[in-house]
Amino acid sequence: MLVKTRHFGEIDLDENKIINFEQGILGFEECKRYAILYDNESGDRPDISWLQSLDEPALAIPVISPFLIKPDYNPIVEDELLNSLGELTPDNLIVLVSVTVPGDITRISANLKAPFVINTDIRKGCQVIVENMDYEIKYYFYNQLKASKAGKEGKSC
Amino acid sequence: MLALTRKVNESIMIGNDIEITVLDIKGDQVKIGIKAPKSVPVYRKEIYLQILESNKEAASSEINDEALKDLFK
Repeated sequence: MLVKTRHFGEIDLDENKIINFEQGILGFEECKRYAILYDNESGDRPDISWLQSLDEPALAIPVISPFLIKPDYNPIVEDELLNSLGELTPDNLIVLVSVTVPGDITRISANLKAPFVINTDIRKGCQVIVENMDYEIKYYFYNQLKASKAGKEGKSC
Repeated sequence: MLALTRKVNESIMIGNDIEITVLDIKGDQVKIGIKAPKSVPVYRKEIYLQILESNKEAASSEINDEALKDLFK
């Protein structure tokens, strides 16, 4: 199916890539169908993707894996809140967190408090608010990510 | 908005399975007990609004492609 997107123009999307957020996401309750899109121009999958609404082309939320910036990320969520996602296993579970990119990229932040949880088998997702008191809605990670990338590059040289 | 007057230990039922009880009143603070199915999310409204705001901010992110690509390459 052809869909209009915010960052990639009109694309031909495989229908089995559609993820249903039956409850929508906070602030965008009307938008229930999404796809995860990323720029594969360079061949490698980049660490950042977009949760693109298929109902509203202008709505695309940048998302990353929380483990990229917080390797010990361990969200605590009431099981029943995830009931609608069916049986979650390490193989079908995807956890993503939204990223806010202001004009000054050094102020980039991720929302560790309200991750998106997706079951890739049945392609259903939801956004949950986790109980962890120390997980911030605005977790600033620019310096940390720069440092960890520099570390990795140093090792590979 | 429906307004009901309740005393300490009195409750309100919302539907068949949600019960709101006034547990304690001290000055301008009210302690409220909520009995609801675990599948019903219950949040303090401030948190709810902050998440909503965060989603909107993320969605309006200014994507400076090069800087962003560089950070996440």
